Amino acid sequence: MGLIRAMLVPIEIWNDWALALGRWLALLALGLMVAVILAQVWFRYVLNNALPWPDEAARFLMLWMTGLAAPSGLRRGGFVAIDMLSEALPRRLADILILVLLFIAMIVLVMGVQLGWTHVNSGWLFASSSLRLPLDLVGGASVKIKLAWMYMSVFVGMVLLSIVNIELILRRILIIGGRAEGLKPLSPVELAEAE
Amino acid sequence: MLVWFLPVFLVLLMIGLPVFFALLFAPGALLWLNGQERDLALLYRNLYNGMDSFPLMALPFFLLAGEIMNRGGITERLVQFSQAFMGHLRGGLAHVNILSSILFAGLSGSAVADTSALGSTLIPAMEKQGYTRRFAAAITAASSVIGPIIPPSGIMIIYAYVMGQSVAALFLAGIVPGILVGLGLMVMVRLMADRYDLPKAERIVERGAAIGPVEYWVSFVLLRLNLAGVFYLFALMLPEGMAVGGLAVYLAMLIPAHFLLMAWRRRADPDFRTVCKKAVAPLQTPIIILGGILLGVFTPTEAAAIAVLYALIISYGVLGVMKISDLADVLRRSAIASATVLLLVGAAVAFKTVVSLSHAPEILAEFILALSENPLILLFLINILLFIVGMFLDAGPAIIILGPILGPVFTSLGVDPVHFAIIMSVNLTVGLATPPMGLVLFVASSVSGEKVETISKAILPFLAVEVLVIFLITYFPAISLTVPRLAGFVN
Amino acid sequence: QEYTLRATANSNDQDEDYDGLVVFKDYVEKASNGAIEVELFIGTQLCANGTECLQGIADGSIDIFVTTSGGAAGIFPYVQVFDLPYLMRDDRIAEAVLTNGTFTRTLRDMALEDSNNAIRIMTVGNTGGWRNFANTQKRIATPSDLEGMKMRTVVADLPQELVKTLGASPTPIPWPELFTSLQTGVVEGTKNGVTDIMNMKFTDAGLQYLTLDGHAYMAAIWVMNNERFMSMPEDMRTVVVNGFKELQQATFASPKRKQISAYEAFTEAGGEIYVPTAEEMDAFSEAVTPVYDWFETNVDGGGEVLQALRDSVAAAEEEIDAEIAADIQ
Ligand code: NA
Ligand code: NA
Repeated sequence: MGLIRAMLVPIEIWNDWALALGRWLALLALGLMVAVILAQVWFRYVLNNALPWPDEAARFLMLWMTGLAAPSGLRRGGFVAIDMLSEALPRRLADILILVLLFIAMIVLVMGVQLGWTHVNSGWLFASSSLRLPLDLVGGASVKIKLAWMYMSVFVGMVLLSIVNIELILRRILIIGGRAEGLKPLSPVELAEAE
Repeated sequence: MLVWFLPVFLVLLMIGLPVFFALLFAPGALLWLNGQERDLALLYRNLYNGMDSFPLMALPFFLLAGEIMNRGGITERLVQFSQAFMGHLRGGLAHVNILSSILFAGLSGSAVADTSALGSTLIPAMEKQGYTRRFAAAITAASSVIGPIIPPSGIMIIYAYVMGQSVAALFLAGIVPGILVGLGLMVMVRLMADRYDLPKAERIVERGAAIGPVEYWVSFVLLRLNLAGVFYLFALMLPEGMAVGGLAVYLAMLIPAHFLLMAWRRRADPDFRTVCKKAVAPLQTPIIILGGILLGVFTPTEAAAIAVLYALIISYGVLGVMKISDLADVLRRSAIASATVLLLVGAAVAFKTVVSLSHAPEILAEFILALSENPLILLFLINILLFIVGMFLDAGPAIIILGPILGPVFTSLGVDPVHFAIIMSVNLTVGLATPPMGLVLFVASSVSGEKVETISKAILPFLAVEVLVIFLITYFPAISLTVPRLAGFVN
Repeated sequence: QEYTLRATANSNDQDEDYDGLVVFKDYVEKASNGAIEVELFIGTQLCANGTECLQGIADGSIDIFVTTSGGAAGIFPYVQVFDLPYLMRDDRIAEAVLTNGTFTRTLRDMALEDSNNAIRIMTVGNTGGWRNFANTQKRIATPSDLEGMKMRTVVADLPQELVKTLGASPTPIPWPELFTSLQTGVVEGTKNGVTDIMNMKFTDAGLQYLTLDGHAYMAAIWVMNNERFMSMPEDMRTVVVNGFKELQQATFASPKRKQISAYEAFTEAGGEIYVPTAEEMDAFSEAVTPVYDWFETNVDGGGEVLQALRDSVAAAEEEIDAEIAADIQ
């Protein structure tokens, strides 16, 4: 148990900091998405000159928002689940069930990281249809952005989700081992809902 | 072999694996056992591709707009406005609860947001008036399902995305069914009011309330612009030869609009007027969203971005109740919530891929058609199936998984795709408030402090009404199709 | 069977792509004496657009796929050469160029190189005839009629450049939203073949004027996972190659048959079909010349592919003109 607690410390610190940064970037991405779409409306109706890039740029931002914000959702218990069974079971059995479920989730995430890495690498072949890095502004030639930069969003999300899930597993082991005292509460922050 | 993913998925779901992981693990494990490793890559790619969509972007935007308005003191204004109209009836605050939900539905696409926003204001107020807490929580939960039926609607954005339908058409088709659910609930409240002697309430909560100068002038201008717009529409619809249009005609319509409003002003109670004026700016939102889509000014995604802009202008410029620091918080909350929903959509799209690889849709379609070829009977059965699914699964994932299987079967039997979309969306939306697993019930429970089981019992009469409405919608297509047909969105 | 080929097309069973696949499946399964089985996935079950499906081809989770030039632009930008206006004068020329195969082989070599030997272009057929300008406002007879018109395009730079060059305002709209966008006036026009227009009943959304300028050949580019193809013995490869030849011919014929009823339905719904005169066509050709330059400078491999196509077209024109001269005597 001492070992588990020692492993938990750096992961906790990482998740505190990395996810906070992720949330900041995600909120900026969401704000920018709105701005980009409003710019599209403005250019089309007021200046009568539709821009080619806002559609793809906004999707780019949305994917990064997802990859960076979803791990915070998992850590704070925001992933929808039917928890009737664990509520009904005796405490100890329920903890073991939750640990098993966390391990299943871990399998999905590990596969996700692996497949995501292949996916990102396949994205170097494909160029975006409308997004360019405007190097011509600084005297170079403008280059099309590779889709790998978009694909990376979900891969990064998978990596961050995995680290969160490891933290959840270690915490649950400590709880089962009767060493829950002193565990920092993961604030189950109230979330906005889409449904 | 591959068709086993469905039962595996259900078992994992029931033992409490988060939906996101269940959607990926069940098909993934079977593909792996089947030696179809190359299809695991397909699964992952569709997870990504499922999220990479422009129309889907309306989802985070409407969520954000709803969150901003929630902070902006808009809920309170809508409740007071509703109370000014319905508070004096028997069961007054219950009616107010329903009407507020109908109005709130025009600003927000989420039943959960409705429950938490209106519930935190109205449940304590109802308790103070002598309603039981479980009744107050139940009517809040039951009426909140109107939120995603009346546009904007997160669920309909997801449906349109998965099924390749027009978001605009679904939005328009949801208006009448949403109001119908509201009316049905009001009838039920009226019946219960006699039986349980539910109290009336004051129409005006706060006598002599002041209205700020900015809010006053904004509502002054908006009221005239809208009323002139109504007159203008009539002018456009005059018989051939007499019909007139153009900016000059619209501007001319401002004059009768102004005098009509001044005439009304003399006759109305000043407090009543204040309450109405305070509701004008928030209630402009649905007019902007729907008007913009109908007039062809913007696509639904753009309309959603405009709604965010409008919500910001109202909250900061007009009502002045939100601080700059609140904005980061609202954006952060919306980003996290959107991210988890988008991941779910992506996972469901990936799941759907394996559904097709397994040829399950064909098998299921054959099975359905073997039951009967009469669409009326099949629609009855499908409603029951959807209701049961809705008891356990959230509307979004249920739509993504079942839509592609059921939609084509019914379209081929001659059911209008938009009509079917509404049947499915309304049924699964009501599922958000059905026990044992209703998202809205949980939120109502946490807002009110009442147990989920208690609310689940108290909500039953209201659910009965909603089931009745579902069948009305099912067997009278005109309820959903008339508005989009008048607007020319359905043939 | 020894080989199962998984083929997908993002259309429906009313589409030319499906006709081609049915012919391909039938031929290959029979000619291989059952050694090859072809599994068809029509629609978006496996992947929903060109980029996604080509990825599936590249990583081997899909074997055969058909893409439009716009769909492949992300990885092979030069295939947009088919979207360049007025390069091939009619079906006969286009079919001669594509049947001959020299140009297709040029494309194949470039595509294999750019995809690290993953994606192999098997053949190029047709899907939906030719793109024409259609709109809700007025008859388009000259380029100046397009001035200021909000024209729907796909999200790709070449079609947007073309629309801009002609003075109209390009507006990318997703296909499912196009009906309502036309109806409400978010866009006033679109560039599509008549079968697509009538399949979506755009006439009910007010689309009324169709100008048969034929500004782009709707090429259907059929691709296969190269490793999958090369892993087969040569006799099986021959069967597959022949199968694609059969498929190609089927996709040439199918739209012509389907267009007849689509044109009828279009006029019945109150639509007006306008065929530009030779002078008007010259005006269009004149107006679009900047697009060729844009293509050569902005698209990787653009110059090379454009030259190859022009050479093939010239050869085909020469041959066909000689045949016509002989046949009409
Ligand atoms: Na709504
Ligand atoms: Na309510």
